Amino acid sequence: MTSDNAALYSANSAAAKGLALCHTCGKLSPIAIGACPRCRTTLHVRKPDSIQRTWALLLTAGVLYIPANVLPIMQTEIFGRVSDSTIFGGVVVLWEHGSYPVALVILIASVFIPLAKLFALVWLSFSVSRQHQTRPRERTVLYRLTELVGRWSMVDIFVVAILVALIQLGGLMSIHPGPASLAFAGVVVVTMFAAMSFDPRLIWDTLEGDA
Amino acid sequence: MKHITACHECDLYLELPALREGEKAICPRCGHIIRVLGWNALNRALAYALAALVFLVAANAFPFLAFRSQGQEQVMTLLQSVTALYAEGYASLAALILFLIVLIPALLLVGVVYLCLPLRFGRCALAAFPICKWLFVLTRWSMVEVFLIGVLVSLIKIADLAQVILGISFWAYIAFSLVLTAMLANLDRHQLWDWLEEARG
Repeated sequence: MTSDNAALYSANSAAAKGLALCHTCGKLSPIAIGACPRCRTTLHVRKPDSIQRTWALLLTAGVLYIPANVLPIMQTEIFGRVSDSTIFGGVVVLWEHGSYPVALVILIASVFIPLAKLFALVWLSFSVSRQHQTRPRERTVLYRLTELVGRWSMVDIFVVAILVALIQLGGLMSIHPGPASLAFAGVVVVTMFAAMSFDPRLIWDTLEGDA
Repeated sequence: MKHITACHECDLYLELPALREGEKAICPRCGHIIRVLGWNALNRALAYALAALVFLVAANAFPFLAFRSQGQEQVMTLLQSVTALYAEGYASLAALILFLIVLIPALLLVGVVYLCLPLRFGRCALAAFPICKWLFVLTRWSMVEVFLIGVLVSLIKIADLAQVILGISFWAYIAFSLVLTAMLANLDRHQLWDWLEEARG
């Protein structure tokens, strides 16, 4: 990992100078020494197997997304009448009740954000693999956004947890969790890991001529 | 004194001037915020962390929400959002939620106090480096503010089913969420590492 690798990285990157930023403590050290002298973390010029890991996690999230939306996320029992509701069904019910802002919050957090995140990461991985040359800064901002908003998808899971705990009046009125809650929590956690395994520095590595 | 570093997001090689309080360094190529030094950041982070610990204890000590319908009343504590899921057979989901809304934030706060309190007196805590390593892994898994939005959505969802009463712990959890956010805003990862290294000598 010395100067012969310079061609793999953009000219004014630290990597082209044989330097690696410790991903734990942020100290810049020569990659040749192997481990960070400050915090002993193994040094990597780039996250190892970044694109491959991101694809694997995205695929997992995509598979989990199906049961998360098809199966019921919670079951409501009122006066002995039991009804199941899916994530999207919950949005529709809120909308029909006239709770438009809340319906929008759930629609954005539970439907839009997970999908947007999946598509954004798929596109970012694809653009890096195909060595796209355009708009590196915008792609980096897109990555930053996916990292920032991912956690907010957890809202629906917390809603289920609170309602299940709060409304337990037996046959009179009670709420139970559904299997989709587990699958959806899985989607959120796995896409968070996918975003973490993607290395945005790869966007800048393949640029010809420096920005 | 110049500080040699690289952008964490685009790997641009940079020579950073030492930051003064209230300044932040932004990558000229990709716009990533490389480092922030808030006003009196160490003392503030410590103060917010201690306050957050107090609010976290309060959030667990009193009723969180109460629900009244058809003459029946039911009181719920914060931790019941975990135990109720466990009782319904969703143990893994219950564990995940316990970590996201209570355990991880608590560990984070204890870690910050443990590192920052000795730093105030120019000392470096025992095993500070391995602890600091884990501290910043935890930050992104603390979902206190997301849980709070979940609570608000739940309240609106059941508003026409029954009367909901907000408990002391509910307000404590809101305060907890606010000071935790303020604490994180005053805690820069790279800055903390530099302070620790300086104190260890």
